[in-house]
Amino acid sequence: MVNTLFKTIRIAAGAALVATLALQGAAVNAQTQSQSGRDKGQYIPTIWVDPDGCEHWVMDDGVEGYMSPHTNRQGIPVCHRGNVCGVMQSDQFFATNSARISKSGQARLRDFFTKNEAVSYIITGHTDSRASDAYNMRLSLNRANSVAKVAQSAGARIADVRGYGERMPAASNGTTSGMAKNRRVEIICIR
Amino acid sequence: MKLFKITALVGLATLVTACEDLQMTENGPDKTFDRGLDKKHLSQLEAGIWVDPNGCDHWIIDDGVEGYLSARLDKYGKPVCSGVADPTYTAGDFKKGATGLIGDPV
Repeated sequence: MVNTLFKTIRIAAGAALVATLALQGAAVNAQTQSQSGRDKGQYIPTIWVDPDGCEHWVMDDGVEGYMSPHTNRQGIPVCHRGNVCGVMQSDQFFATNSARISKSGQARLRDFFTKNEAVSYIITGHTDSRASDAYNMRLSLNRANSVAKVAQSAGARIADVRGYGERMPAASNGTTSGMAKNRRVEIICIR
Repeated sequence: MKLFKITALVGLATLVTACEDLQMTENGPDKTFDRGLDKKHLSQLEAGIWVDPNGCDHWIIDDGVEGYLSARLDKYGKPVCSGVADPTYTAGDFKKGATGLIGDPV
């Protein structure tokens, strides 16, 4: 009796397994119907590099084309070169803890924006890792805004202004020279 | 007459099979080439800009029968909203991939 019951369970389990496998088979077929199963659902992409120097996944499936940005798992695009066209070392333009640009600094900036013929600019402020994160976020944004104001007075179009504080270091904060490198305002030129 | 029909039918079937065979070699998992007349590698595509209704840029490419669209991102991963054109308008020549024969039908 026990033996019979065991046998029944085994047969039922076997049938369930076969059903599951059949279902999986159907799923694979459904995936590949567009190419009559020839690619077996596999789409191997290649890389297209945009004029800014950043990568995109691209595929041609006969008469369809597909494209999507190539980013890392943090959402940062994979780029061969950025379109950063100017890095202002903060020490040359701002006093410590200040977002005010000196008269000579303003003149230099105006000259930069007048000579540059980009469609628009993205201005991002950065600090080293001293002081609190919140303070650095505020200071870097204020400095970026000061630069954007000069740019606008020179007739430049500003696409965006951001403060990243100490969160996007360009160098190690472990050394004095690294920290100086991190105190900066980056100008991205959109052409 | 009947024999001719049968011969024609068999011939047609062979032709169709041949076409499918040809496609089989072409349409595998490797999607890295344009399958059109020029058979170029997809890294050769030339893009323009399409501005979405929010004012942000996308790379747009018209490659004959294929169209491509991909977000323009800055080095921090944020959308680039340059103002190069008004929302829903395009800038730049992005139809270079259309061939003379196929042109840009749609």
